[in-house]
Amino acid sequence: MAPAAGSLRSLDLRRGAPLGFLFGALGAALIFGLVQLANDPALFFQTFMKSLGLGSVYALIALGFVLIFKATQTINFAQGALAATGALFVAFLVQERSVFTGDAIQADRYGHIPFTNLRNPLNAMGGPDWLYWVLSVAIALVFAAAVGLVVERLAIRPMVGEPLFSVAVITLGLEIMFRVFNNDAVVIDFRPVHAPWGLEGFTVGGELINWSFIAAMVTAAAAFVAVYFFYRSRLGIAMRAVAFDQEAAMAQGINVGRVFAIAWAAGAVLAAIGGIFATQPPVDQTLSVDQETANIAFRALPAVILGGLDSVTGALLGGLLVGVAEIYAGQYAAANTSWLGAGYPLIVPYVVMLIGLLVRPYGFFGTPEIQRV
Amino acid sequence: MNRTRWLIATLCVVALVAAACGDDDDDSASSSAAAEAEADAAAAQEAAEAADAARADAEERLAEAQAAAEAASAEQQAAAQAELEAAMAAADEAQAAADAATAEAEAAAARESEAQAALAAAAEIAFDFGVDVDEQVIRVGLNTDLTGAFAPLTTKITDGHEAYWEWVNANGGVEGWTVEPVVLDNAYDVPTHLENYEVMSGDGAESVVMLATSTGSPQSAAIAGRLVEDDMAAVPLSWYSGWADPEIGQNLFEVQTNYCIEAMNGSTYMAETYGDKVAIATFPGDYGQDAGRGVKVAAEALGLEVVYDGEGAVIPGADQTPVINGIVNSGADWVWATVNPGHLAELMGGAFSAGFRGHWIGSNPSWNPALLNTAVGPIADEFYTHSAYTVLWGVGEAEGMRETIDVMREYRPDAPFDDVYIYSFIQGYVVQQILERAILTGDLTRAGVLAAANSVTANLKGLAPEQSWRGDPNANVVRETYLYDVDLSLYTPGATVSDVDGNSGFRLIKGPYVSETAANWEYEPCFVAS
Amino acid sequence: MLGRPNLYTSYQQENQLLPTWTQKVVFTLFVAVLFLLPFDLPVISQIPLVRFLGDGDWLLIMSRMLVFAIAALGLNLLSGIGGQVSLGHAFFMGVGACAAVYLGGTSGETTWGHGLPIWVWLPGAGVAAALVGVLVSPVAVRVRGLYLAIVTLGLVFLGLHFGNTSWGTKIAGAPAYGRDFPSLDVRLWKEETPLLDVSSSGRWLWFEVTELQKLYLFMLTLTILFAVVAKNLSRSRTGRALQAIRDRDIAAEVMGVAEFRYKLIAFAVSSFFAGVAGALFAALLERLQVEQFGLFLSVEFIAILLIGGAGTTAGPLIGSFFVVMVPEFVKAFTKWLEAAESGPTEVLAGAMLTDGDDFGIINTAIQTPGWTLSVDAWNIVLFGALIIVFLIAEPLGIFGIWVRIRNYWKRWPFSY
Repeated sequence: MAPAAGSLRSLDLRRGAPLGFLFGALGAALIFGLVQLANDPALFFQTFMKSLGLGSVYALIALGFVLIFKATQTINFAQGALAATGALFVAFLVQERSVFTGDAIQADRYGHIPFTNLRNPLNAMGGPDWLYWVLSVAIALVFAAAVGLVVERLAIRPMVGEPLFSVAVITLGLEIMFRVFNNDAVVIDFRPVHAPWGLEGFTVGGELINWSFIAAMVTAAAAFVAVYFFYRSRLGIAMRAVAFDQEAAMAQGINVGRVFAIAWAAGAVLAAIGGIFATQPPVDQTLSVDQETANIAFRALPAVILGGLDSVTGALLGGLLVGVAEIYAGQYAAANTSWLGAGYPLIVPYVVMLIGLLVRPYGFFGTPEIQRV
Repeated sequence: MNRTRWLIATLCVVALVAAACGDDDDDSASSSAAAEAEADAAAAQEAAEAADAARADAEERLAEAQAAAEAASAEQQAAAQAELEAAMAAADEAQAAADAATAEAEAAAARESEAQAALAAAAEIAFDFGVDVDEQVIRVGLNTDLTGAFAPLTTKITDGHEAYWEWVNANGGVEGWTVEPVVLDNAYDVPTHLENYEVMSGDGAESVVMLATSTGSPQSAAIAGRLVEDDMAAVPLSWYSGWADPEIGQNLFEVQTNYCIEAMNGSTYMAETYGDKVAIATFPGDYGQDAGRGVKVAAEALGLEVVYDGEGAVIPGADQTPVINGIVNSGADWVWATVNPGHLAELMGGAFSAGFRGHWIGSNPSWNPALLNTAVGPIADEFYTHSAYTVLWGVGEAEGMRETIDVMREYRPDAPFDDVYIYSFIQGYVVQQILERAILTGDLTRAGVLAAANSVTANLKGLAPEQSWRGDPNANVVRETYLYDVDLSLYTPGATVSDVDGNSGFRLIKGPYVSETAANWEYEPCFVAS
Repeated sequence: MLGRPNLYTSYQQENQLLPTWTQKVVFTLFVAVLFLLPFDLPVISQIPLVRFLGDGDWLLIMSRMLVFAIAALGLNLLSGIGGQVSLGHAFFMGVGACAAVYLGGTSGETTWGHGLPIWVWLPGAGVAAALVGVLVSPVAVRVRGLYLAIVTLGLVFLGLHFGNTSWGTKIAGAPAYGRDFPSLDVRLWKEETPLLDVSSSGRWLWFEVTELQKLYLFMLTLTILFAVVAKNLSRSRTGRALQAIRDRDIAAEVMGVAEFRYKLIAFAVSSFFAGVAGALFAALLERLQVEQFGLFLSVEFIAILLIGGAGTTAGPLIGSFFVVMVPEFVKAFTKWLEAAESGPTEVLAGAMLTDGDDFGIINTAIQTPGWTLSVDAWNIVLFGALIIVFLIAEPLGIFGIWVRIRNYWKRWPFSY
């Protein structure tokens, strides 16, 4: 046995080290934050809310990853495409109110449903319009769940018992296919999803804080509470049992297929919610789906890995941590780090992830794989 | 004795190979005759070695071959006859047969090329590839993006381009020639672009005389060297300032102005209208930094103050907080943005949310009228000025405008409304006038078309200023641009080209407009990429 | 008894490159055909596909396929044999291409380059990529399975970013524009006339050879070279150690396989292959553009492995052919349908194609009416679908199908 292998493996840091790393990073951030807070409290608060808003979007997407991982032990690389698909469903339903009023939808020759006169979403969304929007979102989420179920049944279920990486690659294939259809649907560049709160917000000390930040936070919190209680329900316990040991769960009479299906449906719904928020500030200002909307999942991936692929808490904290790191790096460190190149906040999550994985190979809250010979 | 047999057999094989090689240049009729002749030669040779019975058999087959040869034209019949005689001789003396067959094949090839030359002379046109003289068809290539990043824009341009040629061909074509566009998708990808180029620059059924569209800067740069090697002309769909420089884009015929001059004109107008504190936010690379340089040239000439320099700072897909902060904190009167529509929305919306109330202007491809249908529509309505290289749909009464609208309504009545069909027609006019000149000078070879492109003065029928590519780029480069106010109330979402009141929300402010800065500027590539 | 299939009297015999005479003959003939493919020769052009593939512009696609095969062979060493799944192969290709252009490119106003000959920059590309591979391996060795996939995915994003920053552009050229890449001409040093002219049509020995034919032959030679190296590596001590790690890493470690060292070797060698392939890829286009080396390229290599058959040497080669050529075949097929005028082909064309007003699957109009897609969009869908179908239906890939057919006929008529 070569010493090199042994030494690296035995470098398995105990619980103290990662916590030390965490506290060290948090401490440094705190001191840095206090200085900035003293300089311009309003700006600091705005940045804080913005980073929590972005972090919440990441956390929502990450939660979808974790739900699917916990049930099927695989990473769903198609999460971004599912997010865009979900947001597109909302776009179609919102633009065409006829779904609710009974008017026929008239697609043009190019198969695209034309815009209604919702010209100015800032104004048009007043009054009872928010109700239409909420209804549209609800129906779109049902559609998204259906897409999740179909995908699971056709592409994932046949792979039960196959190597995990093969399943992950299948989801890569799904991502490629979905993107083509999504891009075909957004061919005019922007598919407005709208939002009752639009781009508006409230000001604190002269700095605007968008309502969408708050909405993302509230939604993420609600989603996490729901998942928390779900895991304590009968079905949730079954899901955890499947995650723990598929064969043993099967032997106990748990319907593994059904658990898979529910996990995928829930994952697709969470992706769709994340996708809707990915069209709003701070991610996007257009409140519309475009070809870049699907990339939100690749931005959220480091959060999942950092938190641990199988940890719900990890998804929440990882998402928030990555959001904070990205926004704060962009806000405060841009001027001093020109050698890193413009746009480096984009890779900050990945750098944070690489460092984190050096310390903790299974993320901060992930369960290390127990290996037996 | 055995040795002799071997020798004869070997010589027979040599004769056959020679005949097979020489056969290549014949056309199908004569080659079928020749093939039978060869078969007979082989049979006859065998017969000569074997017995009289075999010889009789050979003569019978020979008669068959002669019947086949009679079916061919007189000239070819003579060739086949000569070949048969040679084959007969080969039965006695193999070496002689080999010589005769080779000579005969060469003679046939010579006759073939003579016939081709005669045919070309009859049409008084020289040609090499991409032209079908019998059918009077010229093929031009559109190497464009139908599935990639710019597909929403370029599919429309390509559709309009095809409509243009349908109309031209229906009305007598170009000097009687039909023009057939060959469309290949490059997916905005350099390798695919090159593979398509190899198809178009080859000699197959999809070979072309010139590229009517080469979409994208990196793609066009990747084929620039090969265009020179192949003596081919191409019209790039990209407005990089380097194309006019013979060192960079010798055979690339950039239509209209470039990002750099556009930025000079736009900056001058904005400075006159809104004030002299300017912020710059652009993508990195030829597109963004070309325009960024243009703004700075104008700033230097007019004494403007660049309060925030974000040239190359907008990274696609990243969080734009640093750039937005830079713009907001600079207190600029107006911002020059060279990005894409999605990022323009992010910058405008983000800066507006942060309390920025300055004005915006951007390079032409930064804007997409569909933005008016999104949440930033009202912001753009109030603060955005659109810069363009042409008059837009429905503006003015120019001949080109009338043709564009009429033809699109007739040939693509259901096509979604968009201003980019103007580009389709401008490209169409340029290519048509180049081809007309090439036909009139009697040279439809690729080199001839290239020479025509280098000598023509393209009349864009009022859609954009006249343009030529002869001589000094400083004298040729187009300096006119058009400025439009974005007006939400004019915007008609979901319109088709047939809608009478179709408008993508533009109101002409001025144009064709040449600022003093742009007029006095000595041409050079604004951004050097190597 | 000698020469019977599956009868081996020694380990060495079993481990031969080509164990049986049949294989030796068939393989030699196959390689000969590959070399003669671009030339219109009497006998060979009668073989199906040969004249088709060896013709004109198809040669460029064939050359790209060969370059992809080199990179896929590298990934196969790491993922197929070593079991270390990497989504960062495109990153290492990019590193190789950047190193090559730094060594071999010409320096300009905004770019660096040393103008060195190909025998410096091509190995240099591999070495640079291998060094980067060694650099990241401490992280990569610590994490396993899907975590490793994500870490290597992160490398792709990091690479794209640094290729586009202020100093990265000195090497990789302007973002979204790129820079010119040195040609494949072989020179002794920086002299004017190359020793071996690969980048323009001309004479090689006594034969008139076009540029594309030269490119193809050059790539073919290199691909065969790398395939032999990969095959030899996989049947050596290193290959066996890597397979042990793939099958059960802890068990391997217990048996005395130095896990860290062999994973490091796998990363270095795989990156070397990737680096060389990246440089060749850019050289083929005579253009370097970092955006090329994105996630999609990495996924393409994973697909090549899975479709061809991971863990074998033939797998990546078959997979490259399949993944690169099938979309081109689909395009050619669509064009053939479009040109159809009468008979059953025309009926098929009527059913398959549409220009918007009738039923059809493939859209031939420029602006896509309805929900049908153009042939190019369908090709991307097909690519995704192929990955899924192969993983579900035939996890061993095309090579697995071939093995099953072969075994069936070997024992025919006794199928059991």
